[in-house]
Amino acid sequence: RRSPGRRRRRGPVSKGGSPRDGGSMSCQVSVLYFARSAELTGLRCETLSVPRQITSLQLWEEIVKVHPRLAVIRDQVVFAVRQEYVLLGDQLLVLQPGDEVAIIPPISGG
Amino acid sequence: MEENEDVPKDFIKLKSEKLSVDEVSELVVSPYCGAVSLFIGTTRNNFEGKKVIHLEYEAYTSMAEIEIKKICRDVRQKWPSLKHIAVHHRLGVVPITEASVIIAVSSPHRAESLEAVMYCINTLKASVPIWKKEIYEDEYSWKENKECFWANSEK
Repeated sequence: RRSPGRRRRRGPVSKGGSPRDGGSMSCQVSVLYFARSAELTGLRCETLSVPRQITSLQLWEEIVKVHPRLAVIRDQVVFAVRQEYVLLGDQLLVLQPGDEVAIIPPISGG
Repeated sequence: MEENEDVPKDFIKLKSEKLSVDEVSELVVSPYCGAVSLFIGTTRNNFEGKKVIHLEYEAYTSMAEIEIKKICRDVRQKWPSLKHIAVHHRLGVVPITEASVIIAVSSPHRAESLEAVMYCINTLKASVPIWKKEIYEDEYSWKENKECFWANSEK
């Protein structure tokens, strides 16, 4: 017997992404490695799943979890996110699926 | 008779083939300009007493082109009389004495293009994602420009 005042309620299992849930959602980004960082990882590029909202320092730490050898260059690198430089620090990144994130060691063009 | 106004253009190229000073100068020559100023960066055969065999360059190509375009935009704001700007940078192996970079700028009078060329190469070294590896006899070294805005200058 069902009591008339009572309804079974199940919360939706949200995979589509509620805006309020942005911090715990992740997305796939393309990570590009150059110069010394490419030597340390043995890779030019790969796809990683990272939280959509993350500080640049946290993003670095996520990448170092996958490639611990990168730790030695931490003090020398910056990121380029969507082709704009980002220092490693508190800057909050809002990443979209397919975004390009590049590890940028000290440059030496010219 | 209407003359072609020779709209200012930026010519940006990253390529692995040998660079040509003739080609780059011809890109910027203009009948409205009395000056073409050029910078050529060439490969030296030594660094701190070590013999350099050759250089190797790599680039984050898409971003390098964007950063060079920004330099052209900045240069045009600082020196509005400039006509054309060309920046060619070589990638891959560059043998000794060959050019890694050629920058050419044209302007009606010489002061502007001379200053603009210097600004271009200095800013390129500070901001364009290109990397140079110096190959010695027994080892190699990834170089770091002192102009690089985030790198430690002392190690």
